[in-house]
Amino acid sequence: MRIWGIITVLILAGLTFAATYFITDEWVEEQVEYEASVLNEAKVEIDGFVFDLFNLQLKWDRLQVTNPNNTMENTFETGETEFQVEFWPLLLAEKVIVNNMKLTGFQLGTERETDGSFEIPEEEKDAEPGFVYDVVNQVSSQARQNAEVRFTDVRDDLNIDSLMAKVNIQSPEKIDSLRRGIQKTYSKWDSTFKNTDVRKEIAQVEQTVNSIKPKEIKDPKKIVETINNVQKLRKQVDSLKTRAETIKKEFEQDYGTTKEDLSQVDNWIRADYQRALSVAKLPDLDVQNIGKALFGGNLLGDYAAYLQYVAMAREYGSRLVGEDSTEEIPRYEGIDYHFSDKYDLPGFWFKNIELSGKTKSDINIAGKVTGISSSQKKTGEPVKFEVGGTDENEVRLSLNGEFNYLGNEPRESFKLAYEGFTLSKARLSGSDLLPYKLNSGKGDVSVNVNIIDKRLDSRIDYLARNISFDFQSAGKPKNRLEQLVRDAIGGTDRINVSALVDNVNGPLRVRVRSNVDDLFMSALRQTVSQELENAKRKVRAEVQKRVDGRKEQLAKFKQEKEAEIRKRYEELQTQIDEKIQLVEDKKKELEERKKELESQLKDKIKDKIGIDFE
Amino acid sequence: MFLIMRYIAKLLKALASEASPAQIAGGVILGMIIGLTPLSSPHNLIILILILIFRVNFGMAILSFTIFSGIAYLADPLFHSFGMYLLELESMQETWTNMYNNEWWAFTNFYNTVVIGSFVSSIIAAIPLFPLTMYGVVQYREHIHAKVQKWKIVQAFKTTKFYTIYQTVSRVRG
Repeated sequence: MRIWGIITVLILAGLTFAATYFITDEWVEEQVEYEASVLNEAKVEIDGFVFDLFNLQLKWDRLQVTNPNNTMENTFETGETEFQVEFWPLLLAEKVIVNNMKLTGFQLGTERETDGSFEIPEEEKDAEPGFVYDVVNQVSSQARQNAEVRFTDVRDDLNIDSLMAKVNIQSPEKIDSLRRGIQKTYSKWDSTFKNTDVRKEIAQVEQTVNSIKPKEIKDPKKIVETINNVQKLRKQVDSLKTRAETIKKEFEQDYGTTKEDLSQVDNWIRADYQRALSVAKLPDLDVQNIGKALFGGNLLGDYAAYLQYVAMAREYGSRLVGEDSTEEIPRYEGIDYHFSDKYDLPGFWFKNIELSGKTKSDINIAGKVTGISSSQKKTGEPVKFEVGGTDENEVRLSLNGEFNYLGNEPRESFKLAYEGFTLSKARLSGSDLLPYKLNSGKGDVSVNVNIIDKRLDSRIDYLARNISFDFQSAGKPKNRLEQLVRDAIGGTDRINVSALVDNVNGPLRVRVRSNVDDLFMSALRQTVSQELENAKRKVRAEVQKRVDGRKEQLAKFKQEKEAEIRKRYEELQTQIDEKIQLVEDKKKELEERKKELESQLKDKIKDKIGIDFE
Repeated sequence: MFLIMRYIAKLLKALASEASPAQIAGGVILGMIIGLTPLSSPHNLIILILILIFRVNFGMAILSFTIFSGIAYLADPLFHSFGMYLLELESMQETWTNMYNNEWWAFTNFYNTVVIGSFVSSIIAAIPLFPLTMYGVVQYREHIHAKVQKWKIVQAFKTTKFYTIYQTVSRVRG
């Protein structure tokens, strides 16, 4: 045994220990922050990070995850958090597996002191936003539109010119563009029919056929050869016919598309009309829409905010899926044989997170989140969450759901219930129809969302109970509509609203209904209904005036162009048919000449050797 | 050239040193194992500790490691094929699976074709190489060493500046 050898080993071990002890905290923190920021597309910051290498224990005092859409806000933040990483998966396969994580001080949507924007390196940039973000945008846009609808200042003396100056009427431009498209298509096909090789070949066939003079052929062999050539010409003309028919079919297909475009014109006009109504802030007086106009602004705004978290989960989920891709095997580094699936683990897997924290409205919440991983297919577990809490005023919040990416179609579902919050001094609606605050009342909200890939089915129920409106501070009614509304809702102590957002049967549908829709409709019909109809009529007439006759002109133009092309085709068709006839006639003529020559030949033989071959 | 001369000098010095034939053979074997198997394999850490702790000839271990690393570079495809053969042996499947499921064994990377192929090859090679090296050392010292010292090339080498420096350094290091 070498003493100096043992000493060397001990010194090396000591140096390794010291290096890892003093360097790892900062290094690991930097790595985690960087990787998480790339994933989040905004800063992820950790304060008070401690990494105990020997117990593989991680701890931090504060974690802030910036909202990438608003970098002055955190999507969430946590307080003291502690967890232990499993040793063997980390050592053998570089996989972070955490059995239990204790996370305190969890808060959603907190304000940041500094900007959390993060410049993502070019090579790490990701794809476009997905389906759920589209839904969030659509719902937010509907919420905004609903918030803008005004009922109380409907007037029929609209200044149409100034309104139209604000509205971007798009139909005429679109019709012109379509007309240009038709002209371009026409020119293309006109040139195709005019310059097609078929015409040249027809001329060649004609020339060849005309150059055949059966009467001048004296040799029977020559005549048989010419007949064969004519048969070839017939085949050529047949092929020309097929080619001409193919061109016609292609033309009809191409023109068929423009036909479909033409049917869009009515939709464009309708869209312009709706836009004009929206700019004029003229509400649609329909019992289907009244709920949306009254409560849609608030309800859909909140709904879009909840859905944003689902969108984020799906986005993170899809970004992480690529991480565990098949490994490349460099030559002669060998191949790893996997004798069991023991180490076939995801890149990271937080099996159980016990979290506690509080909401913006100071409800202390606690619960658990299970199965957060970089590959659900490897863990076989979806993300499940169950969080809830109650405050001192018996306001209750519960949230549970599942983000399931196990199958081919991503599935998200969650239920949120927020019950018993006070409505005192609150406004139930952002609409000018219901501007009154409440003296008292309690509110309950429940949200139920199910998304399977791109199919969304969701429902939000809002219940305001034991309510009484504060009409007093709003002063005396300013008009008859206000009076009618007050009379209608003054007697009710309960308003329930349901919003259904789904795309189960096609495009996204947003429907909002409440138990007071009919009361409002009745009040509106008795008051602003006539003015509204007059104003709408004016807008409709003005939009119509701007597009008047254009659709018909366009249809006529298209028809004319189509007829011209058809004429060209028919002309070509006639030419081909004529050539077929010409070839057939020539063939016949040649057959006759052949017979003639044969008979002459037989006569000659008979004269010479006296044998009759007849 | 300088490097080759250095290796030759090292080899000659080791062979002529006071180290026992077993110590020299031990150095050759351990150096060979590190040289033939992928350097970053965990078992090489244990071999390195063995070299440091036991009285094997250190210089010979380094020399052996250098030579066998070169051989391994060429022989890796063969190790890979041999490793594949071993890992696919029907009769060994249960053993491999049990070893794979044991984290300590899994840590050795034995499930990699080149690691297992080269490791088993080096162990097999060690069995005859150890006594052969011992025998070679004894034979060298008894019959060849004196003759080698008289070779003109060795005489010429001993007059070079490099050899003088090498001798001085060796003396200082003991």
